Amino acid sequence: MTAATGESVLQGQGVLGRPLDSREDPHLLRGEAKYVADIDLPGTAHMAILGSPVAHARILSIDTKAAEQLPGVLKVATAADFTDVMPLPCIWIPGGVESHFPPHPYGLPGARPVLTGDAVRHVGDPIAAVVAETPRQAAAALAAIDVEYEPLPVVTRADEALREGAPQLHEAVPGNLNAYWTCGDKDRTDAAIAAAEVTVELDLVNQRTINSPIEPRGAVGDYDPATGEYTLYASTQGPHNHRFLLAALVLGIPFNKLRVVAPTVGGSFGTKGYLYPDMPLVLLLSKALGRPVKWVDTRTGLMNSTVQGRDHRQHVTLAGTRDGRITAVRATSHANLGAYPSTIGPGVATALMGRSISGMYDIDAAFCEVYAAFTNTVPLGAQRGSGRAEAAFLMERLVDRYASEIGMDPAAVRRKNLVPKEKFPYDNGLGWTYDSGDYRLNFDRAIELSGYADMPARKTEARARGKRLGVGIASYVAVCGVGPSTRMSKEGMLGGTWESANIRVHPTGEVTVTVGSASTGQSHGTVFAQVAADELGIDPDTVQVYEGDTLKAPYGQGTYGSRSYSMAAPAIALTARKIKSKLVKAGAVFLGVPEEKVVYAGGKVYEEGNEENTKTFAELAMAMWYGWGLPPEIEPALDETTHFDPPDFNYPFGTHVAVVEIDELTGETEVVAYTAVDDAGNIGNPKVVLGQIEGSIVHGLGQALMEHAEYDENGLLLSSDLGHYALPRAFDAPFFSLDKTTTPSPHNPLGAKGAGEIATVPPAAAVVNAVVDALSDLGVIHIDMPVTPEKVWRRLRGEAR
Amino acid sequence: MDLTLNVNGRPREFTAEPNELLVERLRDGLGLTGTKVGCDTGQCGSCVVRLDGRSAKSCLVLTVAAAGSEVTTIEGVATPGGELTGLQEALRQEHGTQCGFCTPGMVMALGELVENTADGDAPTEPEIREWLTGNLCRCTGYHGVVRGVQRACASARAAAPGTDAVCDAMADAVTAASGQEG
Ligand code: FES
Ligand code: FES
Repeated sequence: MTAATGESVLQGQGVLGRPLDSREDPHLLRGEAKYVADIDLPGTAHMAILGSPVAHARILSIDTKAAEQLPGVLKVATAADFTDVMPLPCIWIPGGVESHFPPHPYGLPGARPVLTGDAVRHVGDPIAAVVAETPRQAAAALAAIDVEYEPLPVVTRADEALREGAPQLHEAVPGNLNAYWTCGDKDRTDAAIAAAEVTVELDLVNQRTINSPIEPRGAVGDYDPATGEYTLYASTQGPHNHRFLLAALVLGIPFNKLRVVAPTVGGSFGTKGYLYPDMPLVLLLSKALGRPVKWVDTRTGLMNSTVQGRDHRQHVTLAGTRDGRITAVRATSHANLGAYPSTIGPGVATALMGRSISGMYDIDAAFCEVYAAFTNTVPLGAQRGSGRAEAAFLMERLVDRYASEIGMDPAAVRRKNLVPKEKFPYDNGLGWTYDSGDYRLNFDRAIELSGYADMPARKTEARARGKRLGVGIASYVAVCGVGPSTRMSKEGMLGGTWESANIRVHPTGEVTVTVGSASTGQSHGTVFAQVAADELGIDPDTVQVYEGDTLKAPYGQGTYGSRSYSMAAPAIALTARKIKSKLVKAGAVFLGVPEEKVVYAGGKVYEEGNEENTKTFAELAMAMWYGWGLPPEIEPALDETTHFDPPDFNYPFGTHVAVVEIDELTGETEVVAYTAVDDAGNIGNPKVVLGQIEGSIVHGLGQALMEHAEYDENGLLLSSDLGHYALPRAFDAPFFSLDKTTTPSPHNPLGAKGAGEIATVPPAAAVVNAVVDALSDLGVIHIDMPVTPEKVWRRLRGEAR
Repeated sequence: MDLTLNVNGRPREFTAEPNELLVERLRDGLGLTGTKVGCDTGQCGSCVVRLDGRSAKSCLVLTVAAAGSEVTTIEGVATPGGELTGLQEALRQEHGTQCGFCTPGMVMALGELVENTADGDAPTEPEIREWLTGNLCRCTGYHGVVRGVQRACASARAAAPGTDAVCDAMADAVTAASGQEG
């Protein structure tokens, strides 16, 4: 396999791939890192947002007079204050789908206004903003805003929103259908299913969940009247992206008048890459008041405003032979987009899920259709593993169902259908071309490590203790590394999806790397320094990494879809190679030998065959700073930038095995063992990746066992605080058995694949498969998530679903 | 109400409203922003400080109720840029922090556990996990944190493989690449 650049993949100075301690950690452990809520600009005023208390209503009137009179209140703003502000756009319209929204002035669909004036469409829909001297005064004034509502009927489920006579959310979208989207070959799939020896079907609910980063979102706007410049400090995964969206598509101000800064960000998992009303609000209100304006969300606020995840209702079918060969898979899904299309929500609910449904298997016919509908719930967006986790869930549930139907071991069925190594690059027939993999190697390793062969004995042993033991397998392929810009345009993404890096070598030999990406807890400062140091052959401690400030960093798209290591790190490596090749040219001058005789290795240049004739990296850095004696074709100084747009995505994959024990008396499910073998290509820092894998698995277990964003029939989110929305705690998972396989991606010079979220993709499927296995003798063929003790207890007593 | 709090060993005098929360005093009044706020209902543990030695959620304590108490915040554990405690160092080596937002609360809560077991009676893994019940983390899955405590309580450490051991085990992994990197 050759790398995209044709060079060898790892230049191997020994720093990359090592589990270095994260250099960010001491800062975080001492509590000195500054998050948005910790920013305190002189003269700051505080903003609070009035979210709708009802899920669907026409707004008849808004009276702000009483609120304006309250102590400390500086301004109460409503939609009427922002008539010249463009709506917040949706920039991922699934390919080939027509948007029904009234267009944004730039031809994009205008997804939602900054503040709503005519109607509210979900609980939390922002109606007004108050700015006051203190946060408490701002919050208190919200209660004094008098809004008169005319209630409208409510719908919270996608399938119900599409029925005749369902409540209508948007005049521009008749029938609430935002998109009917398909991928794969319908006729071929239908024919294969009709002709099959065996077919199995399932109705699945992939429940709505809330990402729940522990830091709620926040934003500080600071307008400088002297220069006309706006600065936004925000908890964002992509400061450049937010700058683009806000300057060009919402505020309509010159690009060079807006600076966006991401301070330390307390986790995101997808949610902080979206455009939210609070962002333009703090900027506009800072300008109006001539003071910095700060907003920090509450937990309940977050749960009613920040994008939520998953939420598909599906009917899925798998066809195969009696002896375990899968011949077709078909999925029909109703995706719940919430009340408005979020920045990229419609793409997440369609392409990311639909194109991924065949997983690790070599299937001749596959088809997926998605009906993406609006309902009176919080807008939908990405959640760690987004789309791919929903796909893995349906496929892996189907495979188990099929295995049980034909009386074959589920591991054997999977093994029989894995895409064989010789078939890469492999076209999955749904739109993805898998780059590389040895699925059998990966699968066998996971099965072996889990002690799968001992499970029958363990089941018997557990039964004697009043426990039902179940084992569940889930394999997955997770498209990552968004991505090739032209390809993403065909998926309907409006914007480039390349990534960038700049390397500046200072006269004294230290190096600064700046990237367009932005960390939300992924130790970029450590890992990116490793990449540059490894490539340049220098000490990583001499490399400083900066990101997250649009004034300082080169353009880039940010951290999402597990893209930073397979997008930003290659940009760094390619930039370091530019520096090296310049140093070889300049080295020829400084060493007084022809260029072909110059060797760059170990952080210095020397004459081939005469290592005495040498210059160190630091000497070269100073010489380039002076620039003395350089011929005209070599510019002085060392300062290079690369914009990396990969030829295609990358496709990490893996196999997880969950072992659960169910208490026969209480119905409680405990995960007693969990094995994961993931393949993320070449890894930059195993310690960092290990942490992400462990965190991702626990996140996935959360969906399987306890997480549920539950709305009542009036559209009220019942689980709107951490007392009602259960997140996994430290005792909810044991230590895991982890291993990896390594299949480099050919699509970037590091051979990297996405890693950050991939291990969130299979756990829900693995756990539910294990639970169903434990209950199979009771005739249970499926159980909906979250698998609560009550649901299991009822099944133990023979109640139907 | 006029009152005094001893914060990180220093007496601080001020006037507080009866409904002011201790976390508001620490963050907004005294500028000690190392203590975080992650929820509105006392569930996340981001705001944990030590109150007269015991770990306490500062979002559930009224400032006036803490009058006269000794309060230790994360800033009182290691000074900015200063040396890490044994617990912090162990958490670092086990990468028990990722985004870091839950971290100050974790360090404060775990500090009490580690001190309680300083006599060598190290907590077991279930005890550590149980102790962490009041602290939510969405990034680490708690594993690095638990290993960090095990490392910090040296005698428990011997029994459990640390992050480096897990990394080493993973580093031996099979390389499926054809023709590169071995
Ligand atoms: S802020 Fe969540 S427990 Fe105090
Ligand atoms: S490290 Fe991010 S929440 Fe714990």
